[in-house]
Amino acid sequence: MDRPAGIPADAEIASTGGFNKYVGPLYRLSDLEDGMVKRFAFAAAEHHMNGAGTVHGGMLMTFMDTSMSRTSRLISGAKGTATVSLTCDFVSPAKLGDIIESRVRATRQTRTIVFLSAELVCGNRVLMVGTGVWKISGGE
Amino acid sequence: MSALPEKLAGYRETNLIDPFEQFVGPLYETGTGIARRYALIVDARHVNMRGVIHGGMLMTLADMTLGQAAWDACDHAACVTLSMQTQFLKGVRQGDLLEVTPELTRRTRSMIFLRGDYHVSGDTVFTASSVWKLLGQS
Repeated sequence: MDRPAGIPADAEIASTGGFNKYVGPLYRLSDLEDGMVKRFAFAAAEHHMNGAGTVHGGMLMTFMDTSMSRTSRLISGAKGTATVSLTCDFVSPAKLGDIIESRVRATRQTRTIVFLSAELVCGNRVLMVGTGVWKISGGE
Repeated sequence: MSALPEKLAGYRETNLIDPFEQFVGPLYETGTGIARRYALIVDARHVNMRGVIHGGMLMTLADMTLGQAAWDACDHAACVTLSMQTQFLKGVRQGDLLEVTPELTRRTRSMIFLRGDYHVSGDTVFTASSVWKLLGQS
């Protein structure tokens, strides 16, 4: 399948079902820093926008949650994790056609909990920063 | 407009402007001004592959409803989200009716603080608190 301009041709589709597929496609990019940083991306389309002509905050937070939730499973090896808490700061707006990339890293992992921090960027510009807590399913 | 489901008695459809909100809506409301209560019926589009609502959809609902309240609080001046803090207390499933009455915590000349507890059948399932900036106010 063709990738939008700015998304690598070999990028894997990260939105395989449910709400992610409905708002997507979302892509997984190659890791940075020997796997310490997980990356995802999407191309901002018409249906992601708000009335002011920038990407809707709900879409940015959805992409943040998806990127961080996926990372919580990648680094813990757990089949299921659930978002417990997530804070997003809106640093700057994104516009139609922007390639929006997430970069997620783990702060700490315990037997039952994963602490993550992330940023959304467009090129060198930071759009959003996030920190959150994920619960590993099946733990206590 | 088509007739609303029985569980939405007393509600009317919210007029959504933003393309992304139209894409994930409809949203319903009752009451007037900042005292409005909002409702969303969770459908197949909103859930993940386990049948539980996606965290992003809850955060989108928070941005939609607290944003509407922010707009009401500043007499429909332009305002933007600065920060959103969310806690996910309980899974929400397809078919559930999610309801919230946004609360204005504080309004200053340039900032608006708003929070909301999101309920399903009386249970609090999600909470959000947020900070908004009025554009053009220093």
